[in-house]
Amino acid sequence: MGKKKDIKVLLVDDEIAFVNTLAQRLRLRKLLVDTVYDGEQALSYIKEMEPDVIVLDLKMPGLHGIEVLREIKKIKREIQVIILTGHGTDKDEEEAKKLGGFDFLRKPADIDLLVRKIKEAFSEKIERAMTAIALAEEGVFDDARKIMKKEE
Amino acid sequence: MEYDELITSQLSFIGQVLSVFSHEINNHLAILKESVGLIGDLIELGKTSSRKDLKEILKITQSIKNQIEQTTYFCDKLNGFGHGMEKPVSAFNIHKSIEELMVLLRRVINQKMICLEKDFTANMPLIYSNPLKIQFLIFCLIEKHLKRLDKNSRIIIKTVYSNDSIGITIIPKGNLIETDEEVICKDEIFKHIIKQLGGSISQKTADETTIMLPVSLFSNSNRR
Repeated sequence: MGKKKDIKVLLVDDEIAFVNTLAQRLRLRKLLVDTVYDGEQALSYIKEMEPDVIVLDLKMPGLHGIEVLREIKKIKREIQVIILTGHGTDKDEEEAKKLGGFDFLRKPADIDLLVRKIKEAFSEKIERAMTAIALAEEGVFDDARKIMKKEE
Repeated sequence: MEYDELITSQLSFIGQVLSVFSHEINNHLAILKESVGLIGDLIELGKTSSRKDLKEILKITQSIKNQIEQTTYFCDKLNGFGHGMEKPVSAFNIHKSIEELMVLLRRVINQKMICLEKDFTANMPLIYSNPLKIQFLIFCLIEKHLKRLDKNSRIIIKTVYSNDSIGITIIPKGNLIETDEEVICKDEIFKHIIKQLGGSISQKTADETTIMLPVSLFSNSNRR
């Protein structure tokens, strides 16, 4: 049996004290966590690295979280994004879902809930990749592509 | 001008302050929650016996203390803002009133990556006026520049005092960007409130606006 894959998480939030403490707590729960402090840093990060799940704030200096989510989905659609914000409006929540965000949580969130959502997001990502591989092996490339892009 | 418009724009201003405040407080609570949670995690893992572990826990408790101090400071500003609405006219320190606004709007200003600076005169007396309306006027001018200025710009709030009048000048510094975003306060409303406060408005340049207000709303020249 293969070794269980570690979940790679990127936290994106301009509240440095918050993001660093949350990162420590997630690391204690066996997640591999990196942190960046604004949307532009997040976009640079994903060009070099492959996080499985991004936990993303909305209101940050410079790029708004919704814009960052849109760009992430353009660059690497397979990355799962969970919004974690202190200021989410219903419109933001709807927009995030439309853009392919996995879930929308409000601060202060419960750590167990956040970890559960991260794991669910990761499982969905893996399942999608496995299904796409299976379809590709059978030669059904259009369906495989759709699954990877999370299309209907 | 419709009375409704006047009320709506002022409520919109108060709404923005409150939503920025609640956002900020949610962030503060999130920091506190994670810090307390981290101490709980360390205790559960038995990481409390060595000197190094205890140092780590002391570091976290210190950060909790610092955060509570910051939150208290921030709540004090909203408290001052609320008191400003209690009476139509009161005696107050205009510099404290502007600082209140600067702190309460800090998050919005940071998001735009714009720096808000103060250049206050040293000899400002207490003024007798309506703090909420003055904060609203300053907010309107700041908001207009926030929408038009590019990131890394500055907005300077300068105050002067002479001949029983105070002057508040908002000076934008930086590059302008194209925008079609609407501002809360229309010119008509702005001028109406200035008139209510017995003041006047002048413009040194197209962007640099000065509001002149009497030190007392009930000084001889303003009595009707």
